[in-house]
Amino acid sequence: MLVDKIEILQQAFPHLMRGAAVTVRITTFAVMIGIVIGTILGLARVSKSKILQGVSKTYIEFFRGTPLLIQLFLLHFGLPNIGIDLGNYLAAILGLGLNSGAYVGEIVRSGIISIDKGQMEAARSLGMSYYEAMRYVILPQAIKRVVPPLGNEFIALLKDSSLVSIIAVQDLTRQGRLIISRNYESFLIFSAVAVIYFVMTFMMTRLVNWAERRLSVSD
Amino acid sequence: MIKVKDLHKSFGDLEVLKGIDEEITKGEVVVVIGPSGSGKSTFLRCLNLLEDITAGEVFINGAQINSPQANINEIRQNTGMVFQHFNLFPHKNVLDNITLAPVKVKGVKEKKAEEIAYDLLKKVGLKDKAMAYPSQLSGGQKQRIAIARALAMQPEVMLFDEPTSALDPEMVGEVLAVMKELAHEGMTMVVVTHEMGFAREVGDRVLFMDAGVIVEADNPENIFSNPQEERTKSFLAKIL
Repeated sequence: MLVDKIEILQQAFPHLMRGAAVTVRITTFAVMIGIVIGTILGLARVSKSKILQGVSKTYIEFFRGTPLLIQLFLLHFGLPNIGIDLGNYLAAILGLGLNSGAYVGEIVRSGIISIDKGQMEAARSLGMSYYEAMRYVILPQAIKRVVPPLGNEFIALLKDSSLVSIIAVQDLTRQGRLIISRNYESFLIFSAVAVIYFVMTFMMTRLVNWAERRLSVSD
Repeated sequence: MIKVKDLHKSFGDLEVLKGIDEEITKGEVVVVIGPSGSGKSTFLRCLNLLEDITAGEVFINGAQINSPQANINEIRQNTGMVFQHFNLFPHKNVLDNITLAPVKVKGVKEKKAEEIAYDLLKKVGLKDKAMAYPSQLSGGQKQRIAIARALAMQPEVMLFDEPTSALDPEMVGEVLAVMKELAHEGMTMVVVTHEMGFAREVGDRVLFMDAGVIVEADNPENIFSNPQEERTKSFLAKIL
């Protein structure tokens, strides 16, 4: 009996690992998109331009206010309907990235406004432009403060990436379901899937803690 | 050097400065005193446009700083500012705090900027702290570094916004000593402070402000020993 189970797991393992690799890859690209979009959104949100503020706010409201699953459906099923076919992987990466960008935008904004306004004044009083003050004084300090919440966001993103299994991406979750459809060992396989997700988020937590320590040298 | 004409500043409905006229000549040390809320810090901050000017004109070296054509970043390079809460950059060590603006804004070579920085550190008596981070310094040390940082841009005017108000009493002296030395070297200074001893000893002129106007301006001797205005008298009676 136990020997059977071990054998089932052994057979499933390579498939699950292949799925885990897809999960990691999709999450990594989505994180990168999220950081780029989030930084732009965050900077736009604290800028003096009402237009930039408005655009940023609308973006964030939309992506935070609608379910990620619906956003994925829109990209994967909706766009082909109007003649744009991204393919399921690109739709998955873009969906997760665009969505994460909204949350990262809020994190970046809160990081920037958490820096004492005396810092901006001191930089400006030395003759720096707004851009120079942001680049050399405000952002380097804000980055340190946003590392912990960004870590949370990316751990959540990794877990949310299981939703892409519904648009036929062969990620960890989908690999697990495919295996179950053949052997009906849903308790065993989903347990294995859960453990693999946990190992991944656990490693991410260590990584974030390490980054946090490295960045706090001057405190 | 600095000329202020009918300066008004409002925050929303609240008018903080109600028409200031003032002229500060090169090498002069002007000390601004007055009760809190009198507008003295706002007045100082208008001189390098940290506050938008609601109405009126401010000229530095003959050029109007609050005109649309004025390049504010260039003007600010010429007017150093020292803040009540130091506002050192906590992510940079002392040396980098001082060299950042000269290198990034003025394009001074790193090496040259460091030479200037070490000279200034010597001047404020903190040469051994070049590699320290702001969090490792006392309040008085922080403020002396802040003065060195402002001086590194080689400004023609130094503005001090209550530079000793956030300090423990035993550290006030070391900061005032640096400011005194600066005054003796002929730096043009505008100092908002509650240190009446400093005003009396170092100031060429004292402005007493209350409720958004300059009530009385005279040399320290006259202001402290023989104030003309009722409001000046009652203010001084309370603090001296």
